[in-house]
Amino acid sequence: MVTGASRLTIETIDDVVERTLVSGTTSVDLRDVRFVDPYALLLLVLLALEVRERGSSVRFDWPQTTAVRSWMRAMGFFAHAGAMPTSPAAAKIGAAFQPIANIGDEAGVGRVVDGFYHRLAERYPMTESSRRTLTAILIELFQNIPHHGNATGDVTDLHGIAAMQDYEDSIFVAIADRGVGLRGSLALRPGYEGITDAAAVDTILRDGISRFSDVGRGGELQRIVGVVRSWDGAFALRSGSALLSFDERGGDVYDVPTFPGVQLAIRIPLRRFDTEMVDP
Amino acid sequence: MHVEEFRIAQFGTRLGTRLEGERARARLEAILRSLPEEGQVRLCLDGLEVLSTSFADELVGKAYQSVVDGGFGDRTMVLDTPALELAEGIDVKLVQRKLAMLCLHAGRWRLVGFHTPALSETLGLILEKRCTTARELADELGLQISACVNRVARLADLRLIRRRKIGMKGPQDIYEIHSILKG
Repeated sequence: MVTGASRLTIETIDDVVERTLVSGTTSVDLRDVRFVDPYALLLLVLLALEVRERGSSVRFDWPQTTAVRSWMRAMGFFAHAGAMPTSPAAAKIGAAFQPIANIGDEAGVGRVVDGFYHRLAERYPMTESSRRTLTAILIELFQNIPHHGNATGDVTDLHGIAAMQDYEDSIFVAIADRGVGLRGSLALRPGYEGITDAAAVDTILRDGISRFSDVGRGGELQRIVGVVRSWDGAFALRSGSALLSFDERGGDVYDVPTFPGVQLAIRIPLRRFDTEMVDP
Repeated sequence: MHVEEFRIAQFGTRLGTRLEGERARARLEAILRSLPEEGQVRLCLDGLEVLSTSFADELVGKAYQSVVDGGFGDRTMVLDTPALELAEGIDVKLVQRKLAMLCLHAGRWRLVGFHTPALSETLGLILEKRCTTARELADELGLQISACVNRVARLADLRLIRRRKIGMKGPQDIYEIHSILKG
């Protein structure tokens, strides 16, 4: 099976998920892929793990373009996915801004955030306000994995991961896990037991509801969506069979093939780092 | 009045997760318990780079909820920040909990959290006078006494002022109203 896309991105990666997990294919050919964004990269890691855990015999042919394979290796993709590229490629660490980092328990979140913080501070002259806001966002997003990913206690390998890449015009942060997803977490709250994936995404992101009844809990993702909108950035959150995605041109909730956990991406225009960010 | 400063930066400069906030709250609550009646904790944000909303809620939101609910007697809590944006996480979570806290910034006291212009106006006058009565406030604010009494009761419920009963007028208690700030 050959994927039609030469770019693996938020918009195209679900085609690979569909063909790998739903169509029963035995081979996924990514040799012609010439670009992979961090969101697609993390989803590919989790997809490779999912395939292995299901005992499937899907074979991946990784991108042939040296620059892409090299970037994937420098980001730590092959090590995290437990896969080997079809041919070796030298790793150019400099091309990878922030390689894939593991997010395990809550106690380790601060260390991962510090790593991302220093990478940003080294390369970009952010204002103090920008740095504060972005770091606070990362803290909230990273800690959501240990807080909610195994809310039911049934998940043996959450596999929380995060990565970041800079481009000419933007910074791209991706976070992903193989946990219970938004629906699995919210369904623990009385009154939300039968909720669908799409409704869970909507309830959490638009209404700020969480699985906790404590009035101080919840609302973080809702606020982050507001900040990203105010920055003219892009946001994508995939959970179960629902994908909410928007950028400065608009967005919507889309049906996607079912996949465990939550996968999230934020893209922030670089021009925001030269000025004071606007908080909602 | 005894005022104890509590520097949040003692736990780090980029804070943090709920777990870290929970641990910090144990320290804060121990200090609150150790204060004399009518003692006050002044939460100081100096030295912080980042304060997440989750940490803010776990440390400040939950502890302040207990203060307002009477879990620490007549003790009070206020905030002192070198930058208002550092206090945004606290502001957001206090709004969510429908609480308000006095905050010192650039030499001026203001309310953060859930409040209205009417409450801010009334509280501002009480802070200025330090000790007053509802009648005096009503006259100066041009309010009906019942409206003023309601505002004062709300401020007292939020632990933003203190009331001391000084007598009765018919079925109504008469209170002396005090600022919670050190003179």
